Amino acid sequence: MNNELKPQSAVQAAQTRAFVAGLQQGSQTYWDMVEIGDELSRDLHISPELVILYLDPVEDYNPWYEGWRMNSWHIDGESPFGGAIVPPLLVSHFVLSVQFDHTKPFAIGSIHTFHDSEILEPIPVGATVRITTRAIDKYEKRGRRYVRHEVHVTDTATGMLYFREVRDILSL
Amino acid sequence: MASQNGLNLDSLRITPETPVGYELQPIKKKAAIQLMGSRVWGRFNPNHWDPDYARSTGLTDPIQTGEMSSAYISEMCVNHFGAAMFKNARIVCKYIASTIANEVIVTGGIITEKTPKGNGFRFRADIWAANAAGEKKTVGWVEADVGV
Repeated sequence: MNNELKPQSAVQAAQTRAFVAGLQQGSQTYWDMVEIGDELSRDLHISPELVILYLDPVEDYNPWYEGWRMNSWHIDGESPFGGAIVPPLLVSHFVLSVQFDHTKPFAIGSIHTFHDSEILEPIPVGATVRITTRAIDKYEKRGRRYVRHEVHVTDTATGMLYFREVRDILSL
Repeated sequence: MASQNGLNLDSLRITPETPVGYELQPIKKKAAIQLMGSRVWGRFNPNHWDPDYARSTGLTDPIQTGEMSSAYISEMCVNHFGAAMFKNARIVCKYIASTIANEVIVTGGIITEKTPKGNGFRFRADIWAANAAGEKKTVGWVEADVGV
């Protein structure tokens, strides 16, 4: 493939096609995967490295989030709350890995269209959080199908409620 | 803290004195396909990074995950609200159009309300992300407590 957006050799192109084929195997639409009332929950350890993996592709270099720095490696970090903290919408991004049941083939073709996120308390880098999602509605609007979830994110050690959200996914 | 281009970064912070109508300073990013397809962002969905797959689904080119524009907007909000963005804040985003690979995205915002609360105010701002032509991709609003 010779695409100016994504230059690749023949080997890379073949690897890409194999990866994409694997994603599509056995997948079904999100609409068909979810029933209202479905609740899923997973724990996520927000390691310093995970925060960096989230931040670098969006080119956000705020030092408040750094619990890992090249050459120093693990550091306590500094923020107005003491040590390093998690970016405001990081946990929102990982909700997708909970509401899309990871034990089933991924429903590719779905689009995240909306989020209403409440950031209630700062999350320290290094915390382990429990992300719980519950399907609260399935609806059609202008010929399109949407699935709505509510989300709660709590600290697994203290039970503190860090984050709350309502979000919509447009399904094929 | 003044940067080398003369912009005083400390002056960005919203204070109880900040008026309605104050405009947030933009963040500008390029929707680079190599970033869109990174593992924790779009890798799970080839529409976000594979031109061949994207075209097979009717797209002109891969599209960025909407959450990347939310992250850009969030960065702008932290620049202005600081610590207030991490406690009792709220941010609502609606993805109204797709961001196509290679587009340059610019965020924006304007304070629309300030409601007395405690010793300070709860501020509300309209927020958005648009391409270089001004076509909005993401719209919404943010609320945060300042000086409360």
